[in-house]
Amino acid sequence: MGGLDLKAYAGLFKTYTELRVQENRTIQISFVKGSNIANIRSGTSGVSARAYQNGSWGFASSPELTPDAIAAVVKEATENALFLDSRERKAEPPLPATVVSSENDFSTKKPRLGQKELLDFLRQVDDEIARRYPGLASRSVILRCLDMEKTLLTSDGSYSHSMIPRSQIHVVLSVEKDGTPVELMESYGGLGQFEDVFESPSSLWEGIERQYQHLMKKSEGVFAEAGVKTCVLDAELAGILAHEAIGHTCEADLVMGGSVAGDWIGKEVASPLVTLVDFANTALGQTCPVPVYVDDEGTRAEDVVIIEKGVLKSFLHNKESARRFGAEPKGNARAFLFSDEPLIRMRNTGILPGTSKLEDMIASVDDGYYLIKPSNGQADLTSEFMFGVTLGYEIKGGKLGRAIKDTTISGVAFDMLKTVSMVSNEMKWLSHGMCGKKQPIPVGMGGPAIKCQVTIGGR
Amino acid sequence: MNDPTRSAEYGVNALLKAGADRAQCHVTRIEKHELNVMSGEMSLLRTTFDTQVKLIAIKDGKKGSTTINKSDPDSVVKGAREALAIAEAAVPDEANDIAEGQPAARFVSGSESPDRDNMHYRMKELLETARERYPALLMLQAFLDFTREDTYVVNSNGVDFSAVKGVYHCTAVFSAKEDGKVSSFNGTSVAMRDLGVPIIECGSTGRLMRETTEQIHTRPVPGKFTGDVIIAPDCLGDMLAFLDDSIRDRALISGTSVYKDSLNQLIASPLLSLHARPVSGEICDGYFITSDGYSAQNSTIVDRGFLRTFLLSLYGSRKTGRTRAVNDGGAYVVDPGETPLDEMVKSVDRGVLLVRFSGGYPNENGDFSGVAKNSYFIENGQVKYPISETMISGNLAECYKNIRAVSRECVNYGYAVFPWVAVSGVTISGK
Repeated sequence: MGGLDLKAYAGLFKTYTELRVQENRTIQISFVKGSNIANIRSGTSGVSARAYQNGSWGFASSPELTPDAIAAVVKEATENALFLDSRERKAEPPLPATVVSSENDFSTKKPRLGQKELLDFLRQVDDEIARRYPGLASRSVILRCLDMEKTLLTSDGSYSHSMIPRSQIHVVLSVEKDGTPVELMESYGGLGQFEDVFESPSSLWEGIERQYQHLMKKSEGVFAEAGVKTCVLDAELAGILAHEAIGHTCEADLVMGGSVAGDWIGKEVASPLVTLVDFANTALGQTCPVPVYVDDEGTRAEDVVIIEKGVLKSFLHNKESARRFGAEPKGNARAFLFSDEPLIRMRNTGILPGTSKLEDMIASVDDGYYLIKPSNGQADLTSEFMFGVTLGYEIKGGKLGRAIKDTTISGVAFDMLKTVSMVSNEMKWLSHGMCGKKQPIPVGMGGPAIKCQVTIGGR
Repeated sequence: MNDPTRSAEYGVNALLKAGADRAQCHVTRIEKHELNVMSGEMSLLRTTFDTQVKLIAIKDGKKGSTTINKSDPDSVVKGAREALAIAEAAVPDEANDIAEGQPAARFVSGSESPDRDNMHYRMKELLETARERYPALLMLQAFLDFTREDTYVVNSNGVDFSAVKGVYHCTAVFSAKEDGKVSSFNGTSVAMRDLGVPIIECGSTGRLMRETTEQIHTRPVPGKFTGDVIIAPDCLGDMLAFLDDSIRDRALISGTSVYKDSLNQLIASPLLSLHARPVSGEICDGYFITSDGYSAQNSTIVDRGFLRTFLLSLYGSRKTGRTRAVNDGGAYVVDPGETPLDEMVKSVDRGVLLVRFSGGYPNENGDFSGVAKNSYFIENGQVKYPISETMISGNLAECYKNIRAVSRECVNYGYAVFPWVAVSGVTISGK
């Protein structure tokens, strides 16, 4: 991508236009039971333009990065906007102008490792798991790296360049219990290129040992008792709750689609213990898992306080919805590939920590569950949510009991958040989130542990 | 290099020149024209072009692969060298291979180019018809695209395939709102060879829109009980995903599949027959060439309850010593049964008509639980009311065995054809 001066193409803009050059680079290496089943690198790059005409948008993209291809993309996007405007005739006013200049590059300064070094690293991890835990029925070790590099120019004059990488190792351990497999996955890593995230295979041993101990307990696990229970949701579950059940209902496009949150600005929707923020790039003094400094509409990214002490405060906007709602855009318009148009997306969504200690929260539950790891999650315009839970324990008389088998929790988020009675003082981030909404996009989800009432599946 | 066939040949030659013993190259040119609706309004017209060049090298039993989206000679040569470098770093594995030679073939389906005016007309018609028939409906998003894919696969064993496919897709996501109350959102997708029929008549689109407007006022099912679930075609694919996952490479190589020893065994009710038909007339959004570079063929996965094939890739088959699947799965068709849908409903004492399932991934054993969305309570043979805050749970491997009826009626989505399926013995819990 180096060497392209997008500003040289500004003269081609006939109407409000965003011109973006982007490259996504990925690495995937997988070992399953010692077999190297994937050994892949990919790169996807190209240029796109999006043009706006009286409320209608046109978009075009090309994988070619030649001057002719860039000019053709701007022309096609403009023509698409004009075509749609000629049919729709919305006569909408211009978009709010934003001007910002930004450079944020999280590339490693260390020498880059080659494929052989990465494979050797993974193989060492896999070999060590096989050596330490011979009773496992199966094991998988999967490396996934994604570098997203973007350069953006808008006709308002915004210009930004960013390189945001993330590197993750997913470890799946499986044992057989009474002839059936029991599995537990854990993800390690986060923001940064491999060299900055993983120092040595041995840096993973402690986490994998903890994962194995949980798996052993889970293999003896029992079905959760179905029904409404007092639960302590650990940070990862609180994070996915913040993202799925609250964040999505507060995206302006979903608000326009009928989200229940639409009528509740300024109203109490949660316990006063709950403050929920979509962080742009920095939370509590730390860089977030997916830092966004300028979005793909050229708007400076700022934090959005969605819920403050239980009261619904704000929605998430792009420029167009901000104009409709009379709000300020705060950098939530993001695209995944060069060929994708920006959509309203979360960045790093989390509940702010409180003052309770996790052990006190568990001790305060007479009969309930401590739920630790989510699998997937889905939510709804009604804020009814569902999350898979792959790791949890009974709480009996204030003490942790038996592990439980995989289960699901559900509820109506805005009802459930009113039942939050304790919030822990530790904030943790889930760094491997990928949100799906027409396009995938990396997101961060975080939070403290929360104590609440929730419906748990089971038998 | 504008000719993709030449790009694929060039890719194979570049890999061999870089030192590969065996080489394969897949080149796909993708052209997409997409009309977008946001919040009930036509919002964006999108035209995108992309190229995917996948280069696979095997050297001394070691395999490496790169995917790039440039097809000029310099990029292909660079990609080929990278694939070799990746292969050289890899672990040797006798299971690594490329497709053996097959007779050269060219496959064609669908239109060559979009009818943009008709796309605009059909989308406008969808919005206006929905507004007229279902005033409470809110169209959150809708996308109508025409996608043309030109695919070329060439390898050093003499494989030389090309395929051209042009297909329209429409995805619509909607909810309904009345007097400040909102329904759950629902959505559906269809694939179409052409735009000869109004979109609202395709797949489940019209039915789901109507049902969504009925789902503004919901109640949980009363209490907790074991009952029947009628799985609508709209979520049958979700319910079959566990079987699909369990008969693929990862589950069989790792040995965690509950079906690892079940080939030609009865794994489901004799009422269930499941086929993968990527090259049949009823599926307009199938595929002609497998991801390994074989000419795809249709197959029967479950024949009257018996598991007849795994979905193993070339690597997976060589790794496990089992037969390679003749396709990549997907393009699923479940045979219709003999029970009319209304008879099926009448036969349920107490249960749920499950239209959308929002659940956690089932575990390796098939245990699942999740929320019944956009669904209905059935009692004494009658659909009573739309439900919310209702969970269903059970074991999918058991559910397949507990299928007690399959409907005569089927829905063709263009990428799958599914009936309604009645399953007994599912735990249903409301409040």
